Amino acid sequence: MNTTPQLDLHPDAESLNAFAEQALAATEREQILAHLAGCSRCRQVIFLAQQAAADAQAPARVPADRPKVRFWNWRFAWVPAAALASALALVVTFYPRHSAPASEMAKLAPQSEAAVPASPPQQRTSAEAAHKPVPALTMKSAAGKADDAARRMTSQELAAPSAVHSAEPGTFGASAGVSRAFLPSSVESAPQPETAQSQPEPAVAAWQQDQQRSSGALSASADASEASQKSLRMEAYTAHASRQAASAGPRRSQQSQSAPSASFDIATQQQLAGSAAALKVNPPRLPSGLAAVSRATAQNLTLEIDRSGALFLSGDSGQHWEPVAQQWTGRAIEVRAKSVLSSSPATHIIFELQNDAGSIWVSADGKTWTAH
Amino acid sequence: MSAAAGVSAVPGTIHGALLDELWRESGAAAYGLDHEQFREILERVAAAQNFGLAPGALASRQQQVSLFRGLRLADLVLARSCACGHQGAWEHFLAVYRQPLTRAAIAITGSETLGRDLADQLYAELYGLTARDGVRRSPLDSYRGKGSLMGWLRTTLAQRHVDYHRRTRRELPLDDPADGYEPAAAVPEPENPPADLRLLGKAIEEALRQLAAEERFLLAAYYLDGRTLLEIAPLLRVHEATVSRKLHRLTGDLKKQILRNLQGQGLSKPAAQEALGADPRDLNLNLKKILQNSSLDAFQEKAAT
Repeated sequence: MNTTPQLDLHPDAESLNAFAEQALAATEREQILAHLAGCSRCRQVIFLAQQAAADAQAPARVPADRPKVRFWNWRFAWVPAAALASALALVVTFYPRHSAPASEMAKLAPQSEAAVPASPPQQRTSAEAAHKPVPALTMKSAAGKADDAARRMTSQELAAPSAVHSAEPGTFGASAGVSRAFLPSSVESAPQPETAQSQPEPAVAAWQQDQQRSSGALSASADASEASQKSLRMEAYTAHASRQAASAGPRRSQQSQSAPSASFDIATQQQLAGSAAALKVNPPRLPSGLAAVSRATAQNLTLEIDRSGALFLSGDSGQHWEPVAQQWTGRAIEVRAKSVLSSSPATHIIFELQNDAGSIWVSADGKTWTAH
Repeated sequence: MSAAAGVSAVPGTIHGALLDELWRESGAAAYGLDHEQFREILERVAAAQNFGLAPGALASRQQQVSLFRGLRLADLVLARSCACGHQGAWEHFLAVYRQPLTRAAIAITGSETLGRDLADQLYAELYGLTARDGVRRSPLDSYRGKGSLMGWLRTTLAQRHVDYHRRTRRELPLDDPADGYEPAAAVPEPENPPADLRLLGKAIEEALRQLAAEERFLLAAYYLDGRTLLEIAPLLRVHEATVSRKLHRLTGDLKKQILRNLQGQGLSKPAAQEALGADPRDLNLNLKKILQNSSLDAFQEKAAT
């Protein structure tokens, strides 16, 4: 305790301030407390000084708290930042699947238009709209559950079949419909890259083998006639590719203008290839509004199954569609055309429909179906 | 060099090495204070506080060193340099403390006009305009560096304001009804209170006198001054919730102690409880006086001059 005479009366400002700032020893503190308990004047002094100190610290506290406030705000900013980063990662992951076809589409657009001069402007507009790159998230929602299996495939597996598949010279038989359904809509509706048509034959053969393996579950019932069709298709493609390399554009125009033939030979197959190519350049829009998962074209008939399993028939290369009443059980997942050897000299073409249980139905006209 | 070796065996004599270290830390050279002047300042502070010990107690070397280490040497050197009239020290003082001091005065008085007046008045005093025996006297000379200089200035301002307020209240005109002041009615002669009330008053007085200093301060600040828990807590170095719990426990213990005191005075337990339920307005007790008298051994209140 201070020994100055003033302390006999009241603690001086030094002692009161030291008490308020907790700078006193225990003995001094006890003495000051004892005085404060009975001295209203000193209590008033000390509380007033404390109040002034609090007021003085209030403005100074603002800059000291600012970093905390900023940090707090930034903590909230992490949420949209994380969402943005996730979206960016998705785009980076899925974009390579679209970039290659999109760039080729831009390069080959004039050739496609030259190859299909008869397509009406409305169809071209719809086709162009369909060719627009689809964002990854939109693609995911559109593809549905069936796309889950395709997502497991690498981007190379997806890109290569789509390019080569679209270059497949319009086989009359069933295209790998289920596999096409796995592809994103932008890839599925991408125009045929002309350069892919002149790919070396071994690459096409290798892809066809891969394609066969990938769709093995659905085409497990392939029989000898399919094997013969494949060999025929390969021959047809060889001849077609060699001719395409020489004169691609003009001949394709002629092919699209030529009348359909009822016989199944190389010429017919080339003709069908032209119509199939036209269908792929301008994919028909089904009345259901859903995307097609399987398509079969033979002679002048085109059959397509949409995602809901409904079957549609077109007699004018997809210009007009009529629904086919369901005469099969389950859900139709694939339709294909087959050649059947008969006693007559002309090859007879029938359509086969497979449901999700693996059962087969056959039809000669696409309208009337009977269990196989 | 060890801390204990910093102070020589003779009390009040500081070892040269420690003095030089403290001199450099305090920044005394900026105000033109040499080692000898600095030593004189420290020795005066040590003598005034007796190294923080009770009067008459002898400080060990360790206690002396800890006292010097615990001082706010920079503030102390500035205050003493200002008190001596050093121009550089005053410039620094004005640059650092003028605005906060004015703000503190405004906060204490609750009025900008009164606050500025109070701050200007203190400035005049600090600058040593008042002279005694031909020597300029500055309150800064009494600053000893225990707490911060700003805290000391705030407390000094508060003292000035409270003293001024008390002085002016005593000078209120007695015959001016416009101020709302009415002369106190004649105090009736106190009647002889009932015996149980007298016993109760005595029991309460005894119970309050037995309380510790901190408990009495708590009761006085909360019940007599009407301070909030938030205001009391920093002075007791506890959280306001702890102050609340202390108050709750204290009132409970006080009630039990009063009951015991009543029973000790010969009342039965039911009678003591019945006496405790008496109307407080019937009691002739001056709690302020009781609490105040409890601390007469430390200080005696005297009106500020």
